[in-house]
Amino acid sequence: MSSPDAESMQMIEIHNLKKNFGDNEVLKNIHFNVKKSEVVAIIGPSGSGKSTLLRCVNHLEEPTSGEIYVEGVLLNDKSLKGRAFQRHLNQIRTKVGMVFQQFNLFPHMTALENVMEAPVNVLKETKADAEKTARELLDKVGIAEKADSYPGTLSGGQKQRVAIARALAMNPDVMLFDEATSALDPELVGEVLRVMENLAKEGMTMLVVTHEMGFADRVADRVVFMADGYIVEEGTPAELFRNPKNERTQKFLADVAHADV
Amino acid sequence: MLDWGTIVHYFPFLLKATLLTLKISLISLLFGFLFGLVAALLKLSPNGLLRLIGGFYVWIIRSTPLLVQLFLIYFGLPQLGIDLGPFMSGVLALALNTGAYNAETIRGGIISVPSGQLEAARSLGMGPALAMRRIVLPQAIRVAIPALGNNFVILIKDTSLVSTITLVELTLTAQRLIGSTYKPFEMYLMAAFLYAILTTTTSVLLGKLETRIAVERR
Ligand SMILES: Nc1ncnc2c1ncn2[C@@H]1O[C@H](COP(=O)(O)OP(=O)(O)OP(=O)(O)O)[C@@H](O)[C@H]1O
Ligand SMILES: [Mg+2]
Repeated sequence: MSSPDAESMQMIEIHNLKKNFGDNEVLKNIHFNVKKSEVVAIIGPSGSGKSTLLRCVNHLEEPTSGEIYVEGVLLNDKSLKGRAFQRHLNQIRTKVGMVFQQFNLFPHMTALENVMEAPVNVLKETKADAEKTARELLDKVGIAEKADSYPGTLSGGQKQRVAIARALAMNPDVMLFDEATSALDPELVGEVLRVMENLAKEGMTMLVVTHEMGFADRVADRVVFMADGYIVEEGTPAELFRNPKNERTQKFLADVAHADV
Repeated sequence: MLDWGTIVHYFPFLLKATLLTLKISLISLLFGFLFGLVAALLKLSPNGLLRLIGGFYVWIIRSTPLLVQLFLIYFGLPQLGIDLGPFMSGVLALALNTGAYNAETIRGGIISVPSGQLEAARSLGMGPALAMRRIVLPQAIRVAIPALGNNFVILIKDTSLVSTITLVELTLTAQRLIGSTYKPFEMYLMAAFLYAILTTTTSVLLGKLETRIAVERR
């Protein structure tokens, strides 16, 4: 099935997305698109549904209702069942990279093995090819020298950069970042943000849940403010940060500004 | 006191019988691990029927004595036309028994792996089976190794029960030698000593393995 707007080069399209956890309505009727090469920052108070929205985009959470299209392909395609649906999901997920707040590196593998794992076992690349790419990617995120280290020996910033390299190794078309720097010591935040900023400059499509307002302001093409399961307001960083229309956005930004001082 | 002449003379016979005990232990260990792994995966399956099968196996084994399980296989099955003989019966009973305990151990190990590991694997396009095999199980088994080792030590000691179905392993050898020497104290003392050697060596080797895994992950 292809999407209504397949012509317009949308990377991600979300229509009428709802997600409940039991009685708790976490996402309430979300409409939302991401264009190719666009960098979208999602901000909002804790519990507003940012992570849930992001996790719906690669089906780590199953939407209660609504449609999500990734590159024009319906993600939650109800006509597919069982193994066929798993294959469908796996195929889409190879094109959607995800970076988690808690890194989720595989602790029983070295940094290099972490990066090679999915290319070898999912994309069936040869070990030699996968290793070559993996070393290039580790170099790109600035930790070539840690290739043979186990995650347990790495700092948070190094772990997160390995995790980014691991996602990039699948050659994804879009990257999802869920508070990639929130678990880091303050002095390690910069090194990860720089890697993300470089990716954005290279034209990677990115959906970034973040509390780093400076980063959102500098790097994002568009900022989305969420509260209580709704997208309350969206616009360019200039519009949203310097001229917010909605009262809740104004209050949130004021609170964040105070917290920063 | 101790008759050292008897001990020196008969020790080699018991040592040789220890080899059979070791063989029974190792084969039961291997199959017990496989049974445990399969049962753990069944118990965690999304399919209700498979969960039921895994649960039934673990429940029936853990709620009945090993000796009864052994007799059921060795004396009971031939009545249905399935005669496995003493060695196969012994190994099967021991493997099924230790397998049920391994199942709970491995299941605990799998559950202890943080959900983020599976999510990371799935987000990379790995299917459920691949993610289980490559990402979750290796971590689960590492966590489970101390408890699995404990199960193995228990298994080694439980092999003495197969002496009741004519397998001439360490315990039955000791019993037979008592029949001709009338020296039960010396014979059982030697048997106990040899069991202790087996179990202690196992524990030490497992301890080494644990340290190596810990070092590898540093
Ligand atoms: N697996 C789950 N089961 C039940 N409730 C959940 C689950 N995941 C999230 N929620 C609930 O959904 C709501 C939104 O959570 P979500 O994690 O999406 O918020 P968030 O905007 O990412 O917050 P934060 O900034 O704290 O990360 C919260 O009320 C949370 O308690
Ligand atoms: Mg969140």
